[in-house]
Parts: sequence; structure tokens; C-alpha cells
Amino acid sequence: MKATLQINGTSHTVEADESTPLLWVLRDHLGMTGTKFGCGIGQCGACTVHLDGAAVRSCLVPFNSATGLEVTTIEGLSQNASHVLQRAWMEDNVPQCGYCQAGMLMAAAALLREHPQPTDAEIDGAITNICRCGTYPRIRAAIHKAGKRLSAKE
Amino acid sequence: MTHERGISRRDFIIATSAAAGGMALTIFSLDAQSVGAASKVPELTPWIVIAADNTVTVRVPGPEAGTGGMTQIAMLVAEELQCAWEHVRTEPISFPRNTREADLYIKASGIWSTFAGGGHAPEIRATMLQAGASARERLRAAAAARWNVPVNEIEARESVLRHPGTSRSASYGEFAAQAARVQLPSEPTLKPETAWTVLRKQNPPRLHVRSVVDGSSMYGIDVRRPGMLYAALAQCPVHGGKLKSFDFEAIRRMPGVRGVAVIDPQEARIHLKKPAYWALTDVQSGIAVVADHYWQARKALEALPLQWDYGPGVEKRDTQHLYDALYARLNETPDTLQKDFGDAPKLIAEAGDEAVVATYLTPLSEHATLEPLNGTALVTKDKVELWHPAAMAAQAQLIAQEETGVAPENIEIHMPLIGGSFGRRVGGDDLRMVLAVAKKFPGTPIHVIWSREETFRQGRYRDLQAVRFAATLDKDGLPEALVAHVAGHTPVTLGLFNSIYANGCIPNVRIETSAVPMHVLTGQFRGPGYNSQCFFIESFIDECAARAGIDPLEYRLRIVSKWPDSGWTKCLREVAAHSRWGQKLPPRHAQGIAMGNWGMEDKPFTGTTIAAVATVEVTETGSLIVHAIDVAFDSGKVLNIDAVNAQLQGSTIFGLNLCLHEELHVKDGQIVEANFDSYKMLRMADIPPRINVHASALSGHDRYGGTGEVGVGVVGPAVANAIFRATARRIRAMPFGTDHAG
Repeated sequence: MKATLQINGTSHTVEADESTPLLWVLRDHLGMTGTKFGCGIGQCGACTVHLDGAAVRSCLVPFNSATGLEVTTIEGLSQNASHVLQRAWMEDNVPQCGYCQAGMLMAAAALLREHPQPTDAEIDGAITNICRCGTYPRIRAAIHKAGKRLSAKE
Repeated sequence: MTHERGISRRDFIIATSAAAGGMALTIFSLDAQSVGAASKVPELTPWIVIAADNTVTVRVPGPEAGTGGMTQIAMLVAEELQCAWEHVRTEPISFPRNTREADLYIKASGIWSTFAGGGHAPEIRATMLQAGASARERLRAAAAARWNVPVNEIEARESVLRHPGTSRSASYGEFAAQAARVQLPSEPTLKPETAWTVLRKQNPPRLHVRSVVDGSSMYGIDVRRPGMLYAALAQCPVHGGKLKSFDFEAIRRMPGVRGVAVIDPQEARIHLKKPAYWALTDVQSGIAVVADHYWQARKALEALPLQWDYGPGVEKRDTQHLYDALYARLNETPDTLQKDFGDAPKLIAEAGDEAVVATYLTPLSEHATLEPLNGTALVTKDKVELWHPAAMAAQAQLIAQEETGVAPENIEIHMPLIGGSFGRRVGGDDLRMVLAVAKKFPGTPIHVIWSREETFRQGRYRDLQAVRFAATLDKDGLPEALVAHVAGHTPVTLGLFNSIYANGCIPNVRIETSAVPMHVLTGQFRGPGYNSQCFFIESFIDECAARAGIDPLEYRLRIVSKWPDSGWTKCLREVAAHSRWGQKLPPRHAQGIAMGNWGMEDKPFTGTTIAAVATVEVTETGSLIVHAIDVAFDSGKVLNIDAVNAQLQGSTIFGLNLCLHEELHVKDGQIVEANFDSYKMLRMADIPPRINVHASALSGHDRYGGTGEVGVGVVGPAVANAIFRATARRIRAMPFGTDHAG
């Protein structure tokens, strides 16, 4: 089936089998490999993208159900890695293997939109993704750092 | 100088190739993909190429799997080359060239430099520092010749050559071509470590981090090649079983399906010996569906009728059966004597019921790398090209040679980023499966993806091990004799007692091992052997301390006082001070301690030593809360403290995962857990609020010990020993979970 998707501000018409998750349309049909495949059952969060600003796990979203919504992927989070979270991530050398980090960043970006200066409990509640390397303490610190900068700007 | 700062890492190669029906456009990022892309520019050494735009390309023998090893190798070059870090990028060494030119690279850097995380080993350190110095001196000589001034008046710093006397300057890039033709009369002497300005001083952004945060990163699973097809793989759910039949007609007309590849272990293969001998890489019986897209391949595979001959593994092979077999083996005569000094058995026999005796067990665990297993290969009659997330490139070359029969000088190895290895991608059994599929489609790049379920069920798991200990204590309460019988699934990782106990600190020691063959496949797992055995010995020593009525810290301090390497004492004292060992804690709170070493080769002043204190609470309802984990370590010295902190923090969490939750079950010969819904992993909310890594125990001894593995071993026993002190209940098996009621 055919569907037209709005991804990172650009319109894409995709033809794929009806059951194809948004994740695989992004990765295989559109070549946007920044969104990662981790588990396929919505557990690990490596495939997190935004649908109209809300964090969702794209491995569980049939691609045509994203029609009419604005899809944002890691490639569209900012120009030149300038998002406050991306900058904090680079400054603090947060990633180890890095595979989970696109999903972490997208989950954290959705969190900051709702809670610009989140508490530890809010971070615990929103960041349910899995990192096998154990970068959680640095992720938490980088979110706090980004939150402080956001609040200082406002 | 036209180079814009910071731009080099954002450059892309755009490659076009004529494909049926028009031009296929593929974009791939430089650092992952471009073997020899810099080859048109003259090289300063086989390791270093500087382009006219000032970009410094460092050729690395091993990939990046998260330890920062690739960055570490580039930093070694940057130290002596004195180039600006923002101009540095990496590309893989050419393995075909290495073979053609008499082992040009590996002879100098050592086989373990091709391992992800091998960047701290002495050979690669010396080689890369020398390469950097050599390139710098060629640049200086070229500038001196052009400007007609003495070479010792030329300064080389931050990628700029200067002659202060005549106020002339030029970028490295401007002189790179001339410098490549310079013959040095002799290789330059390296700076003393005290003159270093990068190593031990700076913590530059790791080279892959920018691409990770902007989504341009290129992992194995992100490889896209012109004309590439996707494959979904199924292997026998019972390890060792065989594919009996399949019905391709049932899926032939499904969308995108191009064919299937049957993987047959009976096919003739070459068997090379080195260094593959330590890894179980035998091909497994299976089948792959090949299609235009992965989702199509996966759906077709799910619909494909398959019949398996499960083989002997299916009979009476449940988890308890495996555990019982290990425990039973402990009661029988051991296979192999690993170590024997003094007269431990006699002392223990004489002690009778007074001996301290205990049995421990650790289960099978899955690496659960977040990037599922995958790989891409293009096989033709006389050439192989790999874009595979292999954690040891030299091993990948051997596997490719074995599986395809192609000569090593025709096996090209690209190094995409690796989304976690922890030992899983070292042996190359995954690459063998990729090649077994790809060689059935000669001339077409084939990208094979294991589903998460297939990744879980076709693991090469952490070895299943059990031990029986017996000890006697001397008049002061310290261990006088220790007998250990370790039974494990494979003998490969046995006998690795990285502990001072088995190297003189206990006067009478006998260690024996027994292999209990099982059908479930195991392999390298972060800190092989140590990740079980540190739990065994550090828990048991705690039992001895309790029997002697001596504080567990004090007990260990007395034992390590017999060891010539005072780093152990320092680690214990520092971790005790930082965790405020002995402080008055609220009710139901307690601390536990453990120590260990990875890489010590039975000698003092080797590897990295560590001590850990866990501060825990077991609530009235029996819930375990880990409030803090403190670790103090001695690797001698460190090259990059931030990278070391990351490894120790990460391996501490890795160790916590292992001891609390990780256990694979077997039912009817098959692995039960297949995804993260049934195999629990720690998430943000589960992480102790304080994980503190203390560098204050560093001895400064002249070595750079590795820090990837050592943290994994000590966390489990530190937490278990803390639970004992909170509840008086001794934990003798992993995983022990968070429910400690009753």
C-alpha cells in the first residue's frame, strides 16, 4: 500500500506492505538509519521517534498510521547537532557503543518539551529505554545539564 | 588553508553506481566505510595520511565497540604528530595490503590491536606513537627544505608548521605531499611521558560521538550497498539440531521474496587454526529468506514451514537438568589439576566438620548487545568484501577465508561501528553465518539480520559454572588451605582464578576443574571466567571472614598484606574511605566488599586491580535496594581518565545486571527467554543513585591496565556480601534478584 508521510518537515510517499512498521520504512525504504532496531516489541526504545512531538516506539507503529502526523527522527532533531541535549551529550561523552543513544535522545527531547527542568523521578518515568553499556548516570547528568540551560534561557 | 574547523567529520562520500533502471545513489559516512579512501593521497607512514585540506587520517587495526578504543589509537598518533584534534579521523587498515606486504600492520601492532578495545596494549601504543613522531619529523624536514632553514628551528603544533625566525608558517596539509617523500636518517626518539600534552591530559570528544548524536552513525545494521538484498535468518531452536525440510513454495509469491539459502554444516570447509582455536565458530544448520526489504524477509521466514531434527539436545534438557549435572560433577573426580601447592586436601581432611564448605553457581547469560546480530557480505569467486560488526578484525579475516576459500589478500574488511559486543562479536560465528548465506548469492551484497529473538536464542552465552570450595583457617582466622573444584560447560574459561588467593596469599591451594559438555553453545563474555569466579571466591572469602569473626575489610587487608603489589591494599583502603566503611548505618542497611583483578597473569603489578563496596538496604518486606556502589581501581596509570571512568561505571552496571537478573532458562533443549520482556535489564529507574569511581588508588606503576572487564566481577559479590550482613542470609547463586523476603 501507498502512504504519504511527513518526516522531518519533508513529504515522502512510500509504498510498502501494509504490516510494515514505521521503523522499517524509515530504515529500509527511506534510508534514514539513525532510528535503530533493537527488539521489535517496544521494549528497548532504540527506535524512538516523535509523532506530533510525542515519543513513540516506531517498531510498533504501522507506517500508514503515521499519515497526517509530523514524524521527527534523530536526523531531524536539529540542524548540525545543535539541540541542547545533543550538545550536552557531546560535551559529556555520554555514548559508549552509542547504539541506544538516538532513542535515548528522542525520549529525552520529548521529556524536556513537557518538563524543561525535569526531576530525577520524571527522568526515571520518561526514560525507560535500555542501554546495555550502562551509560545511565551520564544520560541523567546530561539531561539535567540541558534542562538547566533551557531554563536559564527562558 | 581552506579547511573549515570541525567540518571534516561531517563529510560524506557520495558514490554512484549504475544499477538496472538507472543510477542508485548511496551515501555512507567516511569513518565507517571508506577503506583506503585516503589512498590517493601519499602516506607519511602506512598508518597516517594527511590530505591537502589538513585532514589527518589514522589507520586503525580494530573497530569501535564503545570502549573508545578507536579514539584511543588516534590519540596516540595525535600526541606525537601534534596535530589539531578536529582534523583527525580514522579508517581501517587494509587487511589485503597487510597480507600482501608481509604482515606490515599486524606485525607491528600485535594481533590484539585488531580487537575492539585493544588500544591500550603495549605494542599498539609504541607503534602509533612512533608513527606520529615519524610523520611529524617528515613534515618538519619538508618545511625546512622548502624554507631553507635548519630543521631544528621548525615548530610543529596544532597542525601548523612554523619558522619563528622568518615568521613563515604553513599547514600540515600544505607540506604533506613533500613530507611523504622525505627519508629520515633514523626514526625519531619519542617524547618522555612527562612531556605528553594529549595522553593523560586531554579528554577529546570520542570520534564516533558526533555521528551517534546526529543519527549519521554507521553501525553494521545500517550498511546499505547498491543492489543489496536483506536476509532473515533461522537456526535450529535446539543448538546442534539440523534443518530437516522446508517448503519454499509456501512463500515463493510473498512480496519481495528473492530466494532462500540453506546453511549446511556438512558442506566442505577449510579449517585454519589460529587464532580461531579459542572460539566455537562452527556453522549452525539453518535457513535464510532473502528479499528486497528486511520486513518482507522476516514475514516470509515466519510463514515458511520448517521442520527440524532437534538432535540429542532436546532430551531431558531443562535448566534444572543442567544445574544438577554440574552439581553432580562436583562430587566426582575432577578432570584437570590447574594448581596445587602445599597440602590443602590433607589439611581439609584433618579439619573434618571444622572446614568451611560451600557450593556456588552462576547461570547462562546472554550478551544482549543492543544492536542485534547482523552483517553484510559480498562474495564473488575470488573476492570477499565485508561490512561486518566484527569485534576482532583479524578473526574476521580468518573466518572469511575458512568459509569462502578466498585468499586473505582478497578479503576486504570494512569496520562499521559496533552496537555493543561484550565478547559476543569476537569469535566470528555470526560472520560465518552471514558468509554462509552470502556465498549462495555470489555478486550480490547480502545483509543478514538476526531478529532479537534469534539473537537471544542463538547466543554464545556466558558459561554455566559451579564450584565447590573447602577451606581451613589458621590460628588467626585467615585461610590456611583452599580446595576448589570448578565444573563448567566448556573447559576454555576454567582455571582463570585471577586472584591473589591462588597465587601465594593462601599457603595451601588446590584448584581442579571439570568440563561438563552440554548442547547449549557458550563463548566469550565480558571478563570470561572471571565474571563467575570473582563472585565465587569473594563470597567464599566473606564466609571465611564471618567464620573467623573478623570484619570483611580487615580480613582482606590481612590477606593482601602478604602480596607484593601494594595496589591491592590501596584499592581496599580507598574504597573503604570513600564509602565510609564501618559507618553507623540505619537499620536494615549494610555494606559488602569484594576485590578482584583482570589481566593479572598470576603475577603482581599486572592487569587492573579493583575493590568495590556496595551499600544496600533490605526493606521490611524484603526488597533489595542498592543505594551506592563505590569502586577504587589500580591500572597503574591511565591514558584517558574520562574513558576509564566510563568503562568502570558501565561495567559496574553490567555486573549489577548479571547478579540481579540475568539468567537464561532451557526447556526441551531450547532457550526460553527471547526478548527484553522476559529477560530483565536494568533501566534508568533501577540504577543506584550513586555509582562512584575513585581514581585515588592509582599506584602510578608503569603499566596501562585495561578497564573494560574488571568492574564486572566485583559488583555481584559486593552486593551479595552486603545482603548477608543485612539479613544473615548467604547468597550462593546468581542471579539473586531484588526479593529477599523470608
